[in-house]
Amino acid sequence: MSGTDGLALATRGLRKSYGSRQALDGLDLSVPAGVVYGFLGPNGAGKTTTMRVLTGLIHADGGTVEILGKPFKRGDRRRLFEVGALVESPTFYPYLSARANLRELAASGAHVPSKRIEEVLDLAGLCDRANDKVQDYSMGMKQRLGIAAALLNDPKLLLLDEPANGLDPAGIVAMRDTLRALASQGKTVLISSHLLAEIQVMADTVGIIASGKLVREGPLKELLSMQAIVKVRVQPNQVDAAIATLAPLFAAERLTETDREEGWLTVHIAADRAEEVSQKLAGAGIYVSGMESGTDLEMLFLELTGGQAITGEGTFVGLGGTANGSATTGKETAE
Amino acid sequence: MRLFFSGLRKLVRRPATWVTVGLLVGLLALIIIAVGATANGRTVRANGTEAKLLVTFPGAYDRILQFITGLGGLFAVIYGAAIAGSEWSWGTLKSAVARGESRVRYMLISYVSIAVMIGFGLLLTFAVGVVAAIIGAHLANVSTSGLGDSATLSDLPGRLLKGWVAVVEEGALGFTIATLARSQLAGIGAGIAFYFGEGFASIFLPDIVKYLPFSVANASLVTGTSSAGMFAGGASALPADQAQVLVIVWLIGALIVAAVFSDRAEIAG
Repeated sequence: MSGTDGLALATRGLRKSYGSRQALDGLDLSVPAGVVYGFLGPNGAGKTTTMRVLTGLIHADGGTVEILGKPFKRGDRRRLFEVGALVESPTFYPYLSARANLRELAASGAHVPSKRIEEVLDLAGLCDRANDKVQDYSMGMKQRLGIAAALLNDPKLLLLDEPANGLDPAGIVAMRDTLRALASQGKTVLISSHLLAEIQVMADTVGIIASGKLVREGPLKELLSMQAIVKVRVQPNQVDAAIATLAPLFAAERLTETDREEGWLTVHIAADRAEEVSQKLAGAGIYVSGMESGTDLEMLFLELTGGQAITGEGTFVGLGGTANGSATTGKETAE
Repeated sequence: MRLFFSGLRKLVRRPATWVTVGLLVGLLALIIIAVGATANGRTVRANGTEAKLLVTFPGAYDRILQFITGLGGLFAVIYGAAIAGSEWSWGTLKSAVARGESRVRYMLISYVSIAVMIGFGLLLTFAVGVVAAIIGAHLANVSTSGLGDSATLSDLPGRLLKGWVAVVEEGALGFTIATLARSQLAGIGAGIAFYFGEGFASIFLPDIVKYLPFSVANASLVTGTSSAGMFAGGASALPADQAQVLVIVWLIGALIVAAVFSDRAEIAG
């Protein structure tokens, strides 16, 4: 595979369909080694399908996967000996204790020293309840155990699908610290999540997919710096005039009409240029009644994914407008 | 080997194992003792066979084994289906596959563990059945002098082995059906339906049904003193030696189907 040096995980042209529905449509992921990679996308975008392909649970229709610098094809199951994974909900024998579950899980796949079971139980904060049956565990405790199971073989690459599900705030902080510590040890962590705020504080690099394709990938700071915006609010009847005023002045930038009824406009420029926007509008006799500036992964996500989930995937749409009131309408007046 | 021992540990700790063995042992003991306690006053078969035969040694050995392989066969179908189905329903197969475990190896070794547990259950149930028959014999005032019949005892290990293979084959069918259904409940339901469906069909299609898995399992154990029960198929039942070969064919075939399906299946959920 070309151009995959230094990558812990790479997919090229990955395709997978379920009947007539194309779940992955030529997905190209490049996950650098030693980072926490946030894998984002709306419901039905193909995140879980990707996770399943990467863990050998399903087979891609086309494309290639490279794990830790080596091709991962059908039958290359031993490549997974260096991978830890939590795909969808954690799964265990309900009648066994946490310790027994880990012991039986360790009997499959790569060899695991018995002391490692105690280490991961300790890491997950489950030592006190390790002998309790899993059927008596709360959802959060099962999630902790799932993460412990993923860490069982001390993996070089960790694939976690919505790992924060069911965790309490302390659990989320502990998980974040653990994953950051793993990345600092040179391990690679790929986290699929819809908790954008969590990814924003944890990830070094993000990849955003929509409709089975990668729509943006790169270092988080770089992406966010490109996503700097200034939002201004004018009288609704002055929206057209404001657009006419700003469009020529910010020809190289994007100017988006966010909410005509409320009079919000979004200019994609650095926050320190907010004053400039205000001045131009005032010079044209248009007075700004509200102004916001900043960078936000959520805004980037919504913009790149169209702010909507795949039809029929159960995401709430149309309840009082867009998810946070800041999504674009897609009606761009300048590019 | 660690996968095999892990499979055994999981089965030993699983409540379903002990519920299944407990039910079989309890039913067997209850029936034998009840028959012994009431045998003096009645006959239970229209053909005049004395109920006392069930508690009369050495023939009792054969009848106990027949009971175990008959009802035990149904229990084995349910047990095999429960174990295989739960691997899909609980998602534990998914966890093993995601760790790089071979699907075929995992499924086949899981079944080897089940086969060992079936052997343990068969021996335990047989032992309890013999004790129950001795108690029944005392209650019915029947002599137990045939208990040590040397010809029967020397033949017993071979009979137990054949019984074990037959029950293991029936368990493999439940295991495979649940694997195909990817569900514990669907597997158990389909396994039971298949079991009774074959027995029912043997009334109308004996020449075909005699080759089917439950019929051959029963026919493989038929001796001069026993019959193939609900799967008898009248005069159409296969000779025991032919049936034993078909039992092996069905066993291997069922496990191949389970292994191939597991290898090719897309695991989700």
